[in-house]
Amino acid sequence: MVNAMVESVTIFNFGSCPKCFDETLLLPSEEKYAIERVADPASWDGTRTDVAVITGYLVPGDAAVVEQIAANAGQVIAFGTCAVTAGPFGLASAKGTKFLAAREVAKDAIELPACLGEWFELYEAIQGNAPQRPYKKLCSTCKRRSTCKFLSEVVRQLDPATDEESCFNDRGFACNGYVARQCKEKCIDQFTPCRACKPLIDRPGIRMLSMFGTLVANVEVATEATGGIAGTDKLADGPDDVTRGVPDVSGVFFRFSLPVEMPLGKVLSSGNILSNVFTGRMIEELPLIAGMLGGQNAISMQLDIIEAYEQGTGIEVTDVVKTHRNNLRELESQIMTAIENSDAVAYGGTTEQIRQVAGNMNLSRVYFGGFKTVIPGEQASFEEYKAKIIEFKQGTYQAGNVAYTLDAEGKVTDFTWSVKA
Amino acid sequence: MNTAGVARMGYDTAIKIVPLQCSGQANPQLIMDALKDGADAVGVIGCCIGACHFVNGNMLSMHRIKLMKQLFKELGYSDQQINHYTARAAEGETAVGDFEDIMARLKRAEHDGTTLPEGW
Repeated sequence: MVNAMVESVTIFNFGSCPKCFDETLLLPSEEKYAIERVADPASWDGTRTDVAVITGYLVPGDAAVVEQIAANAGQVIAFGTCAVTAGPFGLASAKGTKFLAAREVAKDAIELPACLGEWFELYEAIQGNAPQRPYKKLCSTCKRRSTCKFLSEVVRQLDPATDEESCFNDRGFACNGYVARQCKEKCIDQFTPCRACKPLIDRPGIRMLSMFGTLVANVEVATEATGGIAGTDKLADGPDDVTRGVPDVSGVFFRFSLPVEMPLGKVLSSGNILSNVFTGRMIEELPLIAGMLGGQNAISMQLDIIEAYEQGTGIEVTDVVKTHRNNLRELESQIMTAIENSDAVAYGGTTEQIRQVAGNMNLSRVYFGGFKTVIPGEQASFEEYKAKIIEFKQGTYQAGNVAYTLDAEGKVTDFTWSVKA
Repeated sequence: MNTAGVARMGYDTAIKIVPLQCSGQANPQLIMDALKDGADAVGVIGCCIGACHFVNGNMLSMHRIKLMKQLFKELGYSDQQINHYTARAAEGETAVGDFEDIMARLKRAEHDGTTLPEGW
């Protein structure tokens, strides 16, 4: 356990977006310990450090470097879900990309999952106050109330203006809050179902699948006869209302835990990790995924994805929406400058402004057609900038640096981003 | 299954029976554990639709397994390694028919090379 005698903290950035690495800029600078930030861990000189903080996803090729870090550190902290389970990048394991959890190499590592990693939790962990079980449940902090009644339908989108009190799951809108801890980003407050980046329990993906599968017991499930004279009913293999409601089970329930819960997938890889992450996902989930893993380009990546679909399907947005989007793009360039200059004050100020408009650093409020919740301080009525429920239209969509193709179900079959892989 | 046993009906020796009070108890974690611990396939056999002693345990199980099958397909594996059947308690041949179906589907998946890797 780390204690107050810590004199040196070294923060490493492995593969990722790298928002968690950037977020560590917010660690108080007046502390007694010296903070070294290592953007390229392979070139690290191996100097002894009291606390090593690992951010970003790890691949098998990183094992030797992480071993060296663990051998030269008093304590290793895996900061952010990427370091713990590969985070949203782990979805690429369905296409054969291998990942490494920090604890596979550094067995005593303290795990601080969250997307975005919570700097205050890291700060406490460095002091020796890592969070302990039992963790506080996300549902206990949610303003919505769950009845856990069996559902008759599954929906992929909800109108942001309706019903502020019912649990998303009660309305057939899959939310992983049941298996998540209280968190800082709190997507649920931005009318965005939780995807459990900060899991409450082990094996959150399969358990949430189990929970949701139970909830949808009244949804029509297809059966077929087994055949023969002693035939009975068998669960059918074809699509039905259950699979049409959740056409992307791995992306919904296993977004942050796929590599640690399931075997390595055999789907043909595109050769690009970002493309592998996005392929197979549902169009309505793309804005949040981009907000999570787009890193310093998250805003432009997310807005490119949104605007591509809006332009391709004729969704019009108001001037209020355009103004806020331009503001967000401007904030993105400001945050890049702040990071480049390691300017913690500017970084902190800019992130607060982003949170003001986009709801959080995962940009959960931003959606097709507008915003999902009221923007504080915005004088225009919510109706003027409210997000729209989209129809799923097959086709190829392109805007800015993003291009993707959707199938008839609204699932991505091909994705390219030309700025950063 | 008891009826099938009493009637000395034959079925593949690869079939290992794990009795549960209700198919609704066969949760996805258990199924994944079985597959991880060496089972080649898992077939959950519940009561006929509408005949659940615990109201809807068989339906709960069916819906969960449907999502699991979808997950397996998304990962590039055969969804024929997990299936849900129903059988009539008084007719052993319905359970034996299910066993045969489990084996036939597994063999097809093995032939296609889409079964889960060993020791994952």
